[in-house]
Amino acid sequence: MSSRFALIALAACALAALDCAGASAKVDAWADVPLAQRPVAGTPNIGGVWQMPRRIVALKTVDGREPPLLPAAKAQYARNIAALKADPGADPISGCLMHGLPRLLYAPYPVLISQERDRINFVHEANHTFRIVTLTKPLPKVDEDLDPQWLGHSAGRWEGRTLVIDTVGFNDKTWLDYSGLPHSDQLRIQERYKLAGHDRIKGEITITDPRTFAAPWTTSFVLTRKPNYDLKESVCARDHRM
Amino acid sequence: MRLNLVEGLWVGACMASVSLPALAQELTPEQQAARAARLSEEMKTWEPVAPPTDPRDFTGLWEVPIPLVGLRQTDGSQPPFTAQEAKDVQFHIDSARAGQVITDASSQCFPHGVPRLTTAPYPLRFAHAPGMVLMLHEVAHNVRYIHLDRPAPANEPYTFLGYSTGHWDGNTLVVETTHLNQDTLLDGNISHGPRLKVTERWTKVKTASGNTQLQNVITIEDPDHFTRPWSTQRNFAFRSDIANSAGSEGLVEYSCEENNRNQPGADKIVTAR
Repeated sequence: MSSRFALIALAACALAALDCAGASAKVDAWADVPLAQRPVAGTPNIGGVWQMPRRIVALKTVDGREPPLLPAAKAQYARNIAALKADPGADPISGCLMHGLPRLLYAPYPVLISQERDRINFVHEANHTFRIVTLTKPLPKVDEDLDPQWLGHSAGRWEGRTLVIDTVGFNDKTWLDYSGLPHSDQLRIQERYKLAGHDRIKGEITITDPRTFAAPWTTSFVLTRKPNYDLKESVCARDHRM
Repeated sequence: MRLNLVEGLWVGACMASVSLPALAQELTPEQQAARAARLSEEMKTWEPVAPPTDPRDFTGLWEVPIPLVGLRQTDGSQPPFTAQEAKDVQFHIDSARAGQVITDASSQCFPHGVPRLTTAPYPLRFAHAPGMVLMLHEVAHNVRYIHLDRPAPANEPYTFLGYSTGHWDGNTLVVETTHLNQDTLLDGNISHGPRLKVTERWTKVKTASGNTQLQNVITIEDPDHFTRPWSTQRNFAFRSDIANSAGSEGLVEYSCEENNRNQPGADKIVTAR
């Protein structure tokens, strides 16, 4: 790259106000994003393709303990584990239904995070499932008018350099993880994403569900960047990966 | 579920592929006039939040105002079918009339294919990202990635939605899609082969009444099914009125896999392949 070109690249970085460490090669790509849609100055850039570097099957608290299940939920969890052991078809996603949250994040597939000024899109390769998170609208009120969804209803915001997303309005047909951890339709989750360098996101998820857990609890995960990766067309009914 | 302006006729993208003539042809002139009047009244409420002024900024929620499932050329005439394709289309129509509906990918909750996805009567959200334009469709959570920064890889597999590349011609986004598998139909009846290439020209336009639309001129090339390339058009209305629904940015979660009424094996539905 000529020095003149590098200067232009730096200027474009400043204009787009992105995390530009080592990102000069990506400047041309941002040039196609309309100015009004680029993240505002100083916003961390979590856009790109990401994946969990290691498989997490059963969610644990940040200090490695079992989630604080209430007695009835603990019994349900045991039944789910036993059912899954006896028959993989007992898994709610075995019929290609949506994973729910936070389980979708733990699916063994990459996710494309597309970061706009007013929203963040999570496009998962897993059965081409996507989630659109507003950054400008409030979280909907949970009442009888709110239709429960497999992936709930989300609203996000930047708290300093951390992206915080709250989600409510889930149905009770999914599991929280791949081991069979149950939840009710009272589930609320909060995801927190923070860049740790250019190619690593440290994430935390706080799970609140008074019908399932004695108290809110938090689990953590890491995402690593998959540069230049094209999301593949994954169609559950054709190439199911549990 | 959101109802479209379809005169009481529900055209579900997950429903069986019944041969539907262009809807306008089913209406009397009086009905057409009444619909036009109602539509013109409705359209006044569609843009409470103005769309971006940048002609190359397609961000937002868009929906076809009048769903037309059957594909015709822009002038309303039939596509230039090869003799064999004309026979096959007739076979699809006759089968449906005889109660033996031939389904395609969309009935099985597979992605719809292109351009079938583009004609589905559901909203979609456009998003711009580095190196790509995303089309996020409500119907069966179909996603299209329009790559602006790379050609189709040499060994790209054939898929339901193919591989799409895009470039700007002035303020028109030109999208070329190839590598489309043969499990989809172009509409409810028209087949295609591996040489299919679909070119879409997306342009933001203003209507006479001042509404914003995305005009999509679709050109279909497949020498194994058509005697020459042919074009059709779909216009999408900007709908910031429904984009404000809380929690999902205007798209209602659509899980085709839940309670699919038209999966293969259901009564009187046979699959083409």
